Amino acid sequence: MRLSRNWLLALPLAALLAGSPAQAAGTLTIAQAQDPNNWDPIATFLISWGSVAGNFFEGLVIRDESLKLQPGLATSWEVLEGGKRLRFHLRQGVTFHDGEPFNAEAVKFTIDRLLGPEGKKGPQQSNYTTIGSVEIVDAATVDIVMKQPDPVMLTKLAGYGAMMVPPKYVTEKGSAAFALAPVGTGPFKVVDYQPKVSVTLEPYAGYWGVKPKLDKVVYRFIVEPDTQLAELQAGRIDIASNLSVAATGIVSKSADLKLESITGPTVVVVRLNTAHGVTTDVRVRKAMIMAVDRDAIVKQILMGQAETVTSFQSSLSFGFDPKQAAVPFDPAGAKKLLAEAKVPAGTAVALDFPSNNTTFREVAQAMAGYMSAVGLKVAVRPSEQNVYTNDIVPNGKTGEMFQFGWGGWTFDYDNTAYLMYHTGEHWNPYDKDATLDGMLDAQRLIADPKQREAKLQDIAHYVADHALEIPMYNLNTIYGLNKRVKGFVPPPDNRIRLQTTTVE
Amino acid sequence: MARRFRSLEFILGAALTLLVVVLALLTPWLFPDGGEAMDLSARLIAPGLNWAHPLGTDPIGRDLLARVVVGARVSLTVGVVSVAGGMVMGTLAGLFAGFYRGIWDMVLMRWADVQLALPFILVAITFTAILGADEWKMIGFMAITQWVQYARLIRSSVLTLREREFVQAAEAIGVRNIAILFRHILPNAIGPVVVLMTLNIANNILLESSLTFLGAGIDPMIPSWGGMLSDGRSYLQTAWWVGVFPGLAIMLTVLGLNLLGDWLRDFLDPNAKATS
Repeated sequence: MRLSRNWLLALPLAALLAGSPAQAAGTLTIAQAQDPNNWDPIATFLISWGSVAGNFFEGLVIRDESLKLQPGLATSWEVLEGGKRLRFHLRQGVTFHDGEPFNAEAVKFTIDRLLGPEGKKGPQQSNYTTIGSVEIVDAATVDIVMKQPDPVMLTKLAGYGAMMVPPKYVTEKGSAAFALAPVGTGPFKVVDYQPKVSVTLEPYAGYWGVKPKLDKVVYRFIVEPDTQLAELQAGRIDIASNLSVAATGIVSKSADLKLESITGPTVVVVRLNTAHGVTTDVRVRKAMIMAVDRDAIVKQILMGQAETVTSFQSSLSFGFDPKQAAVPFDPAGAKKLLAEAKVPAGTAVALDFPSNNTTFREVAQAMAGYMSAVGLKVAVRPSEQNVYTNDIVPNGKTGEMFQFGWGGWTFDYDNTAYLMYHTGEHWNPYDKDATLDGMLDAQRLIADPKQREAKLQDIAHYVADHALEIPMYNLNTIYGLNKRVKGFVPPPDNRIRLQTTTVE
Repeated sequence: MARRFRSLEFILGAALTLLVVVLALLTPWLFPDGGEAMDLSARLIAPGLNWAHPLGTDPIGRDLLARVVVGARVSLTVGVVSVAGGMVMGTLAGLFAGFYRGIWDMVLMRWADVQLALPFILVAITFTAILGADEWKMIGFMAITQWVQYARLIRSSVLTLREREFVQAAEAIGVRNIAILFRHILPNAIGPVVVLMTLNIANNILLESSLTFLGAGIDPMIPSWGGMLSDGRSYLQTAWWVGVFPGLAIMLTVLGLNLLGDWLRDFLDPNAKATS
């Protein structure tokens, strides 16, 4: 059966066949924009990976929909030696989808692989460098020995690079094969993966926890938000996970559909070029922030499907300061600052952004409109997305302003601030500030959460005082649902969990 | 002669083209703000509801009528200048290749073959991804890729013309080559080129729209029809007018130019109609 179906799917028609038939009872079809291409936990940093792979991979700890840590493959854990040693008591009787047992060896294999040469090839290793080694105490107990205390490590063990992988399967098949046919311990197993088309999951009968009620889950990769909407309206998908803001009105008015909108992990800012052009002057940067009515943009263009931010983090983030005030919209003040900085009216500046972001395309034009009102002539420059993320931003080829969205799935400000502002970081082409570097390094060594939170808040204030960016908004994740889907809880971290979900 | 001008093709084609040209020339007076004035509180107003915005407004509250009309300027500039550039390059190359033959002909024509073998949109997207895009780069790129069409057309005419008696007569009495080329051959070969130009202006307007629609074209702040179509795509179900009016503008302009080109072909070569 399996063989013949695979053979059938190899036909060119398969792309159509896979998506079009009416759904059998208990089959849930989800559309998402991006295919992560590689299911290996150590080889990805994409949100689109987490929204699928969270269903078939698990870590020692699990983070639930309210972002609280819960026991996962470890039933309990202890923080020993002042945070230098984390001891995990492993769940017994857990097996991987291929039947391999999960035990202390698997934990050691996973972490060693992450920190070893295989992990070095991927982007995940850098998140876990505070781990020194893994020591097996007995078959049911492992210690993670830290080089230094890392307050975020427990959260990091709940996702991405620290997802447990089966030692025998990975060793025998090799990483390249594992990346296309992943095996984990999660409630679902992968039965079929067609790159750029779909990935199909079925419940794993040997799962240790709450068994899923669905018979099958199909994720279809549909790039265009408008196509997702059309498929949702036609009933060919049950959940559209990347609707455009413009589609919200249509979905909420439809009798068969409903809208679920929740604070998302992605915060969007417009970063300012502190190395070249007029934006090297802090007064100009401040004027740019004051010139743009961000409340109006969120209310009108984003139809309230976002929340303005005061720093590069959402209100759910560790390091968020509720007392930090937004810079008010003040075109007159902006004009005054620009005059002080001797920036003549009509000065040309450029705003770069990736061309596939249709929402930001509107926001960018609105920003340009606001800035022209204070005398800055903005060229709005869309670039092809791959060129944008791989060349223009990291190599510092942007204009005075550039859009940047970052989703720290750990919801810890360190994960954003360090990568954005620390000298020499990949995503930081311009800022070089020894004071800021010092603050960023210092907070990583603080074990006490209260003190570290205060330090992170200081960093956010410092960044705002120096106007390194125009804080824009925290965009909601907008799900469009067919009403026959029951028990779907929209997750704030985009990691869709489907154990309680059913389809009528 | 007068009867030729009474054809429906000519009247409709000329009227549409003239309308677009006149509007494009008048924009600085009609819409001094260049269609850039925005008002977030007046976004997506439907056409006919507000006399200040007869065609409605776009997603950031800019007047669509102003943007569609100002967009004509961008489209026509791109269309006309790129075609003129391609025509000049192609005509020169075609004249020399056809008249002197030999190694020049070989090199130019094989080069043309290579250029014709490359899919245009792919090359265009690669080009803009590397060099970035603005109006003038796009114009330059279109001219550079399209000279081939004119060169081939001219060359084939020159090949037959240079054997004709009047050219040989000119040669016999010692007229210089340059004079033969531009005084005797070019005027006789230019007819089909003019027709191709009108069709290519229409093509290039579409091309500009496609590239801008794909995000590889003109700054979204500058009203261009392709960019406006792109803006309107997500609103087709909720606010059709954002995409439909620029789409109509493209359609009418291209229709006008095509009709005119068709008519011009019949006008310059009445036999073509009977034989083709």
